[in-house]
Amino acid sequence: MKYHVLEKEQLDCFIKSLAKKMKVAAPVSKGNGNYAFQEVKTAEEIATEYIPTILPPKKYFMPVKEKMLDFDLNGKEPKETAELDACEMAIFGVHTCDLAGIQCLNIVFNERPRDYNYLIRKENLFIIGLECNKYCDSFASCALVNSHLPNGGYDLFFTDIGNKYLINVNTQKGEDFVESIGLPKASSQEMSALEKVREEKKKVFNHEVDVEPKKIPEMFEKVYNSKLWEKVGEKCVSCGNCTNVCPTCYCFDMDDFINLDLKTGSRIRSWDSCQFETFATVAGGENFREERSMRQRHRVYRKFKFPVDKFNRFFCTGCGRCSRTCMAGINLKEILKEVAEESKF
Amino acid sequence: MAKEKKVSNKPKVAFFDFACCEGCQLQVANLGESLLDVLGLIDVVEFREVMSEKWDKDYDVAIIEGSITDHHAEERIKKIRARSKVLIAYGSCATLGGVNGMKNSFELEEIRKYVYGDKYHYFDSTPTKAVDQVVKVDYYVHGCPVYQPELVEVLKCALRGIPYSVPDKPVCSECKLNENVCLYDKGVVCLGPWTKAGCNSWCTNNGNFCYGCRGLVKNPAKNAAKDIIVKYNLDEKLMKNKFEMYNKAKEVSNESKK
Repeated sequence: MKYHVLEKEQLDCFIKSLAKKMKVAAPVSKGNGNYAFQEVKTAEEIATEYIPTILPPKKYFMPVKEKMLDFDLNGKEPKETAELDACEMAIFGVHTCDLAGIQCLNIVFNERPRDYNYLIRKENLFIIGLECNKYCDSFASCALVNSHLPNGGYDLFFTDIGNKYLINVNTQKGEDFVESIGLPKASSQEMSALEKVREEKKKVFNHEVDVEPKKIPEMFEKVYNSKLWEKVGEKCVSCGNCTNVCPTCYCFDMDDFINLDLKTGSRIRSWDSCQFETFATVAGGENFREERSMRQRHRVYRKFKFPVDKFNRFFCTGCGRCSRTCMAGINLKEILKEVAEESKF
Repeated sequence: MAKEKKVSNKPKVAFFDFACCEGCQLQVANLGESLLDVLGLIDVVEFREVMSEKWDKDYDVAIIEGSITDHHAEERIKKIRARSKVLIAYGSCATLGGVNGMKNSFELEEIRKYVYGDKYHYFDSTPTKAVDQVVKVDYYVHGCPVYQPELVEVLKCALRGIPYSVPDKPVCSECKLNENVCLYDKGVVCLGPWTKAGCNSWCTNNGNFCYGCRGLVKNPAKNAAKDIIVKYNLDEKLMKNKFEMYNKAKEVSNESKK
């Protein structure tokens, strides 16, 4: 493991050197306790202490709207040209919950048939993580799903050790950059400061819901037909906020848009949500998840049950965004508590 | 000698206004560069706001702005419908009844007296109706005013003879993707959670709240509204008033002519 250090006051130099090579996105304050990843040029713009952004960094891996191809209906046969907009970009300040989210998406989009748009774009992204030394707020449940500590999935990873950042170098790309700006290697003293941060975290970060993580999928086996889902469904407005802000939700829709010449146009992929009334509506008007309760249940099972069966990991990263963003106050931790309670019987 | 006007084979499109502010028609003029492309596709044969010519044959596309608020308007819209292959309800007044629908919150006689004084009986007035409460509507362009990119999309669909689906999901779905701070976080009542998307959260992107001008989604969450009122300690009456600003006419009779 390679570690370097950066004086905090040198962060601006770091960001500026990075910005010379590529676009840099980082968390920026939007007011009212909200943050968003946005393009920055200096360290001054960055909120280094932030709670999870409105949208997770997945927006850079799978854009909200993405052109897949251009088509041309002039001539006998329609013609199509594949399109991919993947510019080199650094994402600074990614918390461990969002790193876990990116790892989940990597698994999904690597499944065959592979999603080359995602995979090529990912290759062009330079990920710089940032450790949370304390909790963001009470919505988070990162310790429960073990995403409060770094588990890879980054090029560089920053930990605040007082007046310096300790930087873990995880890739060749990361090393090249750190070397290019001549950051010193970490001393043993600085390494023990990291140990200390982690020790402190152990005291603070504990299972936020009183359940054994291993037992969670088993718990969910018992509550599929529970009344709990009706209760959740009654609160839901089907706005799709919970899935849009989720770092591991990846459902999309595909539409063709024709230009005003009515001959040429483009195919656009855009985010969709299982919470929308229209999502599971099929030809003939049948909707196989008609009730809000069914759609909410589906969302939660897609985090704690189905991906465990398929990929052997939770697709909840504990970021708390879904609960934080819900106007109606649907709270994932509360749902987990109720599931735990009900599954005992 | 009168100039013989060359008749092209482009679709004949006419604009008509009923009870409205005609602001949605202005949005056509505001289209900017794409207006030229649009005009390359169609022949505008009637458009009171910009031309004096009239058309005496059938219309390929009739674009109707405004709501139906008296007997004369009912007769007139029926005649236009009879002459039109495709009819587009254009702007909230036409698609929902819009702000004119607020009239329906009062006794008709009372409100007529209030507006027209003791000569009110000279002024015919009926409860406000959306266009589809009188005649069949083929396409809807919601909004007060209409969102121009959606107008262009609907027009393209109409010209190609394919359906246009108004998104049946709340405005939040677009607002969130635009990463706006939720209005509820700022303590402001916003109708986004119940209003049809499709405007790319135009108002909230610009610091305003959602007034519900595009109408409610097909299955609005009534229970959730109560929870939200409690969670944010809101005034239920204020919320109801906000809903009625655009959506009152549809509340009276939700049936549309198919």
